[in-house]
Amino acid sequence: MRVPTAVFAYKNRDARAPQKEHTVPFQEILPLRLKNRVSGKADSSSDVACLQEMGVLFACLKDNEFVEKYCNKEIQQFQKCYKFYADSKFEAKKTVNQGIITPGKNLNYKQLNKYMRRFPNPQ
Amino acid sequence: MLRSLCSRLVPHSLVCAFTRGMSAYPPHYIEAIFSKKKQLNLKETDEYIKLSHMPIKAAKNDESESIFYNELVNKMVNYITKGGNKKLARELLTKSFECMKRVQIERMNLNPDAKDTIIADPEQLLIKAIENSRPLLQLTAIKRGGVKYQVPIPVTEKRSYFLAMKWILEAAREKERKVHLPEKLAWEVLDAAYNQGRVVKKKNDLHRQCEANRAYAHYRWS
Repeated sequence: MRVPTAVFAYKNRDARAPQKEHTVPFQEILPLRLKNRVSGKADSSSDVACLQEMGVLFACLKDNEFVEKYCNKEIQQFQKCYKFYADSKFEAKKTVNQGIITPGKNLNYKQLNKYMRRFPNPQ
Repeated sequence: MLRSLCSRLVPHSLVCAFTRGMSAYPPHYIEAIFSKKKQLNLKETDEYIKLSHMPIKAAKNDESESIFYNELVNKMVNYITKGGNKKLARELLTKSFECMKRVQIERMNLNPDAKDTIIADPEQLLIKAIENSRPLLQLTAIKRGGVKYQVPIPVTEKRSYFLAMKWILEAAREKERKVHLPEKLAWEVLDAAYNQGRVVKKKNDLHRQCEANRAYAHYRWS
């Protein structure tokens, strides 16, 4: 006669039964609440800029056997692009370091940290 | 302590956040504009009134309006200097200038037709040489997945000038023992001014390498 598995389950109940709470008490290894700060890792955007200009410059240099005077336009465009990028990055860094809080959704980590220091999670 | 002083003097100052505080001047002091021409140009703008109420650093003692003053030449002297012996460096560069001028005048006399096209001003030659050997890009090693890739990245204007001068000087220092530095430097500068020679080749080689590694350009990180 075939014995249904449910019978076994009832008989050897120790096998799959949930652990008892008093024998294995729950340990809170890390505190189960969010911290009052965020790390700035995700904010560091990639540094890749002016790829297209670089590609155009390379094509021109290769065509002219790396003589720069034939590629003045491309060189200027590339340098202008990089300068604009570096300047805007510098400006952005300045405003971030100032950490002025502006209302809105788009906050960087410094602003968020300022907010959370002011309104921390209840202990 | 300095930081607290900083915030007390100029609260939320940008300058404070960016300086280490090694200067003799407080961080809100601005760089002096010693050039008369620049001052006159400024006078026409509103900036002048703003600047007149700002604390200004003293001009550096090697900066002047003299016709003998040239920023790039001064920089070159600083790079030549070894062990703080700037006097010697200046003498070496002056000797090198003399050497350049002699060579150019000799060329002029040998070829009287091209007299107008040959530059004999050594300062101009040096500037031209530096401009000709400035790189556009450079390579940095970036590790991705255990492999180091040579990634081409753009160089800032300041760094490109530095590299150009460094390369010229390196080429000049790589010489036989019996040849003096001023002589070799003069030859390297003259070569670079005419867009030939080792330094220009080095720059072109770097560009070629960058071009060969262009596929990794998007690996740029920080």
